[in-house]
Amino acid sequence: MKALQWQGINKLKVGEVPEPELRNPGDIIVKVTRSVTCGSDLHLLGGYIPFMQKGDVIGHEFLGEVVQAGALVKNHRVGDRVVVSSFIGCGSCWYCSKELYSLCDNSNTNPALTETLWGQAPGGCFGYSHAMGGNQGSHAEYIRVPFADVGAFTVPQGVSDERALFASDSASTGWMGAELGGVQPGDVVAVWGAGAVGQMAARAAMLLGAERVVVIDRYDYRLDQTAKFIGAETLNYEEVNTEQELRERTGGRGPDVCIEAVGMEAHSAGPQFPYDQLKQQLRLQTDRSPAVREAIHVARKGGSVFVLGVYAGIVDKFPLGAMMNKGLTVRGAQMHGPRYIPMLLDRMAKGELVTEHLATHVMPLDEGPEAYRIFKEKEDNCVRAVLVP
Amino acid sequence: MRASRAILVAVTAAAAGVTATSVVKKRRASAQDHDGRPHVITVFRPYDELKAEQVPGSLAELGDTVEVSLRPAPADRGTEISVRPRDGSPVGAGDIRRALRETRSLLEAGDVLLPSGPPTTKTTLLNRPLQAATEHGREGGLL
Repeated sequence: MKALQWQGINKLKVGEVPEPELRNPGDIIVKVTRSVTCGSDLHLLGGYIPFMQKGDVIGHEFLGEVVQAGALVKNHRVGDRVVVSSFIGCGSCWYCSKELYSLCDNSNTNPALTETLWGQAPGGCFGYSHAMGGNQGSHAEYIRVPFADVGAFTVPQGVSDERALFASDSASTGWMGAELGGVQPGDVVAVWGAGAVGQMAARAAMLLGAERVVVIDRYDYRLDQTAKFIGAETLNYEEVNTEQELRERTGGRGPDVCIEAVGMEAHSAGPQFPYDQLKQQLRLQTDRSPAVREAIHVARKGGSVFVLGVYAGIVDKFPLGAMMNKGLTVRGAQMHGPRYIPMLLDRMAKGELVTEHLATHVMPLDEGPEAYRIFKEKEDNCVRAVLVP
Repeated sequence: MRASRAILVAVTAAAAGVTATSVVKKRRASAQDHDGRPHVITVFRPYDELKAEQVPGSLAELGDTVEVSLRPAPADRGTEISVRPRDGSPVGAGDIRRALRETRSLLEAGDVLLPSGPPTTKTTLLNRPLQAATEHGREGGLL
């Protein structure tokens, strides 16, 4: 079958690989009908996550049709249209019992790597390096889905593929940021990043009752999309001073909840960007985190900061003093997909959550390398490129 | 840009190599490497259930070469299983880590997840240490 394979730093190609097999009785095989690029994939392409092997199939946000089911699968049958959580949970461990699915104890077949790096190993993820289990990714004609009764969800009739696709990761990640960030009715919420996850976090905050939601980015086309389709306020950090603007819009208090949806390759205004970039390239820090820094500095006293963007290791100039003295709650997580996907599909069916606009580019799988080039370079107003095998 | 990318490649490879080598070294740990400390894992199954049954899977296969003890975990988190190699045991730390992780998975999920397959990757000079580490992915770490 055809698949989009990582070949080395900034090298992708569409190659022929063996079709995936059922390996455990709880597996299903899904014929992928849509699979989408994600900003976190760019960290793999850029070599920032050094646990890739030549030939790995990438992609983790997808939807498709069940073509095979293992003997112990109860919830799915051949022919079902399913959307699948990008992180894999067994459904039975203590973490899954608390709906913290991305922390699953049993879904990462290579726990030693991340346990050594981070002290404990999170669960497995599709197409996201051997540190996350080495599971083959979704930019392919077929994919194996382990623990399918936990992570795959039948898409209701009336919800299109184009809309349901983003329940797989972007919408569930965004919702998690708003929910676990503690958004309450009447809150003012600031979101850094107007990509798909940032837009979904903003929409989630609004649906959870936030009074004002402000989304920050440097690309006007993304901010225009955010204003038009999400209904949030916007702020271009290259045109205004973010902190001053947020203070003004919050009566001097600062946002109640700050959600960072940018990640380890963040850009920023001013001299801190070249400083961070140089330190990252010299590996004096592994990640750049100006948006987290800014969020902690501008958040209201006693407020919260939720980190949705993907980070791998060590950051420099973390404002620990501001965090401590302002009494902030700082939290982060990979996405707990099964906790949110059924509710999101329900909201999608009701029209409360729209996502189709995020797919600015729909391309055949054969054009995967070009799709990532456009996505990475933000060419042609690209927000997300959807691959159709 | 080219120079910085070269640095990035080198450091990335080195980082992967160091972590992978450390994992492989731990895998090769023999009984002599044991410092006598137990390896402990928490299984989300009630203590009363587990104490009444034989531990399954690869932990059972270690047999009398190790000493296994159970105690209840706090706050209904299940059961803590502690494993210590007996004096002169040929079992290495990596074997015990793998056995504990596989046993936890069997007891909680009823199965031990296998990696994706067939493989789509190729062996290169750069990824050989990573491949060696992932072939024994449940044997390393801090457990």
